[in-house]
Amino acid sequence: MKEKTSILVIGGGVAGIQASLDLADRGLRVYLVEETPSIGGRMAQLDKTFPTLDCSICILAPKMIECYRHPNITLLTYSEVENVSGSAGSFTVRIVRKPRFVDEAKCTGCGTCTQKCPAIVPNEFEMLLGDRKAIYMPLPQAVPRITTIDKDNCLYFTRGVCKICQKLCQAEAVDFDQAPEKITLNVAAIIVSTGFNLLDPSAIQEYGYGRYKNVVTSLELERLANASGPTGGHVTRPSDGNIPDNVAFIQCVGSRSLGRGVPYCSSACCMYATKEAILIKEHKPKSEVFVFHLDLRASGKGFQDFINRAKENWGVQYIRGRPGEILEDPRTKDLVIQFEHTVGREVRKLRVNMVVLCPAFIPQESNKNLSKKLGVKLDEYGFFEAKDPPIAPVDTNVPGIFTCGCCQGPKDIPESVTQASGAAARAIEVITITAHRRAQ
Amino acid sequence: MSNKMPCSPPENPQEIKVLRQLTKRSLDAKKLVYCDECGACTGSCPVAGILPTHFNPRVFLNKLSLEFANVLTDAGLWLCMMCYRCHKRCPHGLKPPEIFLLLRNMVIERGYLADAPAKLEEILEILRERIPLPLVYIWLCLRPCEEISKRSKFDSLVLDVLQRTLANSKKREVAPLPKTQKEKTAVIGSGPAGLTAAWELVKRGFPVTVFEALAEPGGMLRVGIPEHRLPKEVLDAEVAHIKELGVEIRTNTPIGKALSFNDLLEEEGYKAVFIATGAHKSRRLRIEGENMKGVVHALSLLRRANLQKQPRLGGKVGVVGGGDSAMDVAQTALRLGAQEVNILYRRSREEMPANPLEVKEAEGNGIKFHFLLAPKKILGKDKQVVGVECTQMKLGQPDESGRRRPIPIDDSSFIIELDTAIVAIGESSDISFLPKEVKATEWNTIAADPLTLETSMPGVFAGGDVVSGPASVVEAIAAGKRAAVSIQRYLKGGEAQSS
Ligand SMILES: Cc1cc2nc3c(=O)[nH]c(=O)nc-3n(C[C@H](O)[C@H](O)[C@H](O)COP(=O)(O)OP(=O)(O)OC[C@H]3O[C@@H](n4cnc5c(N)ncnc54)[C@H](O)[C@@H]3O)c2cc1C
Ligand SMILES: Cc1cc2nc3c(=O)[nH]c(=O)nc-3n(C[C@H](O)[C@H](O)[C@H](O)COP(=O)(O)OP(=O)(O)OC[C@H]3O[C@@H](n4cnc5c(N)ncnc54)[C@H](O)[C@@H]3O)c2cc1C
Ligand code: SF4
Ligand code: SF4
Ligand code: SF4
Ligand code: SF4
Repeated sequence: MKEKTSILVIGGGVAGIQASLDLADRGLRVYLVEETPSIGGRMAQLDKTFPTLDCSICILAPKMIECYRHPNITLLTYSEVENVSGSAGSFTVRIVRKPRFVDEAKCTGCGTCTQKCPAIVPNEFEMLLGDRKAIYMPLPQAVPRITTIDKDNCLYFTRGVCKICQKLCQAEAVDFDQAPEKITLNVAAIIVSTGFNLLDPSAIQEYGYGRYKNVVTSLELERLANASGPTGGHVTRPSDGNIPDNVAFIQCVGSRSLGRGVPYCSSACCMYATKEAILIKEHKPKSEVFVFHLDLRASGKGFQDFINRAKENWGVQYIRGRPGEILEDPRTKDLVIQFEHTVGREVRKLRVNMVVLCPAFIPQESNKNLSKKLGVKLDEYGFFEAKDPPIAPVDTNVPGIFTCGCCQGPKDIPESVTQASGAAARAIEVITITAHRRAQ
Repeated sequence: MSNKMPCSPPENPQEIKVLRQLTKRSLDAKKLVYCDECGACTGSCPVAGILPTHFNPRVFLNKLSLEFANVLTDAGLWLCMMCYRCHKRCPHGLKPPEIFLLLRNMVIERGYLADAPAKLEEILEILRERIPLPLVYIWLCLRPCEEISKRSKFDSLVLDVLQRTLANSKKREVAPLPKTQKEKTAVIGSGPAGLTAAWELVKRGFPVTVFEALAEPGGMLRVGIPEHRLPKEVLDAEVAHIKELGVEIRTNTPIGKALSFNDLLEEEGYKAVFIATGAHKSRRLRIEGENMKGVVHALSLLRRANLQKQPRLGGKVGVVGGGDSAMDVAQTALRLGAQEVNILYRRSREEMPANPLEVKEAEGNGIKFHFLLAPKKILGKDKQVVGVECTQMKLGQPDESGRRRPIPIDDSSFIIELDTAIVAIGESSDISFLPKEVKATEWNTIAADPLTLETSMPGVFAGGDVVSGPASVVEAIAAGKRAAVSIQRYLKGGEAQSS
């Protein structure tokens, strides 16, 4: 039988996962390259998703596992694209597999090593609110379920002592001599789904992120609300571990700003803030939750209804106004928000126990590099540019290379998934056409 | 009295159209269309904080497109303090103060306020009801300039009205207010925060004593802000009224020396204390040569100049720093006889914290600006300053303050010759006189609740620069007002205010 046609998917968030599954189900061979040790992306970090309030990882985990098990999908986690050449129908791609110092084939994911490793490191997956070890699995539902050694923090690599993990590992999977491995693939099409990042809100100095302990980001809140998160699902204040009586969300932090931050709307934050507001209410119905917003952007099916329910059923209070200043009470670490309620012209101050900032979605820093390798254009902000937004939204300027999800602009999960399926379908079309041409 | 309407806005629609276009052209109109009325400007504006019904920059900008003619007669037009905070907060970087400035000039120059003096009187009346320093406020806000009043219609008119009001104010006598309460409050510091708190408490019938370390009351209004920007007779007139109302001011009484903090509560029987001691220590450069003759710190020079002990400065002066004090001390140096004044700042123009209007004025007066250089060593001959060795800097990544951090360029040292070096790199507070029950923050300010101004010691409140770090007169006034409300609640039972 002829070798299956292959496709490369770069970025294993929900968009990359969906595209991979669609393609694999159609009988194509998929290489899914993910730069971190596990696939899952941002969605794996979320507690629940709007507007249905489904458990995020419960929806995503089966898809992640399916990617792992699917005979047509090869997962290349902890890997990066080094070089790309060729054109639609036949790209040659060189991929570097970074050494995880754990043999992927041998590790059983038992976790003995992570329990005993003495090196404690802030956990990126928990937005640094919790800890992990130098040998770690980024999340309980990691796919693949194997560990990775973080060389920069491992005592053996930094000081030449330890190797406890190696001694304890019954599968003899720990291999300190592992070297980067390069593999070359031939693929007919490429789908880019590298997702997004969040703006560091300390740039908006007056909101005090980084200076005031109880000012957190929305993504940090997702982890605080999550039962397997650093606080075991109790939304608590970082300063004292108390459960807040009142919480304020601040929308558009860095978004919709011509002067500083980014000029565009980040499109998902009005909705996810409403979701997070409800989560806080669910955890503690008596708490007061405020959402400071410009105008609420609820442009999807059922979205306005979701906001209405937040107001009516949950008593979430929406205040139209971008706060001008946040001050910390140095004694209680409470926060005083100075704002104008622009509906009604009231200039007021409000004391809350905790503030949640919803920062702008920004492009991944690595897009610049990747775009050069692929020859795909970035837009003025650094997102991947669509060839023709209205009629070819997932195509790029390079035939055979497609994009989906937040790597081409802010969007929510349903839209990311829709685009992913669209990109998969477009990739198949390209393959059919090139195969047809070749046959002629 | 004339029977003219106090204000006569342009009625001719054609003229309004022309005016609107003129305004738009002079502003960054392309940006104005992006104003989404988010309210960040108003939410951060210190004036909107104390005069919310009369001043709201967001609403004002909105009126600019909706009811332009009314904007020209709006009282709010005259209340902006030009602090530029709204500009720093506006997501689109709009500049409301420049819009106000432009319109103020337009209104006067084109004569749209037929009776401008009446308008100013109206503004002063609004202020008089709410704050104890209405004339100080309006002087700082309208910035009348004697030197240019000869050629500017605006300045001559404003100066004329203000001087007339000042003269009337001096003549006016106020009757003392009755003391209906017996609990005494001690206010430490007679700057705008302390004076406002005392005034508000006296208005509520409480006896108040203000303790001031210096020989004369007023805080930075007396010893910081230079005479050319705020004539001392304006301050004197207002302090006189505050005293007449029944506020006792004890000058030459530093707490911690003349009296201890605990004496106030234990010996003198004060039931509540408001600490408003400001930020009066000049930060030091901490480089070699800082103790030499010819090196002065900004606040000490300003203090000497303000207290009429006119020091003389000759030759070439260098001012290290880029804030408002640096601008004021540079302007003062010119007036004290310096031949040449140079400002040395370690970042670039964009990062300079000084008010852009002050910078423009300084440049207009021939003060030279040198950016991206940091003094490394002060050079002297026979213990007298002869120059300063500087390092050239470049800008790196933003630091905690959001401004780009200056990084020294290797082997870039050079020497600037100077006769006097003035250090103006910021002010900090001296709170060593306080008992340990009054907790400080890590920045050596007093830890106080931003809403109620309570400190960690019951009955003791704090506000103004000693809590916020160097800020502004309006913020100090706002703190004084808040303190009075909290102290009243404290003395009369019940909790301090919660919102
Ligand atoms: C706080 C918060 C709450 C949210 N809540 C909701 C919600 O309730 N409902 C909803 O619909 N949406 C929500 N969203 C939006 C949602 O997170 C995104 O729509 C979704 O995650 C986008 O998926 P993606 O696959 O495009 O990107 P990502 O999830 O960002 O995944 C991208 C993946 O690509 C990998 N990657 C990046 N660069 C490279 C590279 N160069 N090489 C290889 N791999 C790379 C990354 O490691 C990552 O795994 C929320 C967002 C935030 C910030
Ligand atoms: C050069 C300069 C120019 C400025 N220009 C402007 C301007 O144009 N517009 C503006 O809005 N703001 C300006 N400011 C800032 C403004 O002056 C201050 O923010 C404001 O005065 C602070 O008020 P305050 O009441 O907190 O303290 P201060 O005004 O500093 O008053 C504190 C008082 O407490 C006294 N004191 C200190 N310790 C003790 C003690 N132990 N016992 C008794 N008394 C004590 C001090 O002597 C002083 O009189 C300027 C500041 C400076 C330095
Ligand atoms: S060798 Fe490194 S990874 Fe292994 S247990 Fe020690 S510190 Fe942890
Ligand atoms: S989605 Fe809402 S919060 Fe997010 S940038 Fe747009 S308007 Fe602002
Ligand atoms: S902060 Fe800027 S955008 Fe917001 S209301 Fe004010 S001027 Fe308009
Ligand atoms: S410049 Fe200052 S006083 Fe004027 S509107 Fe802006 S924040 Fe308010």
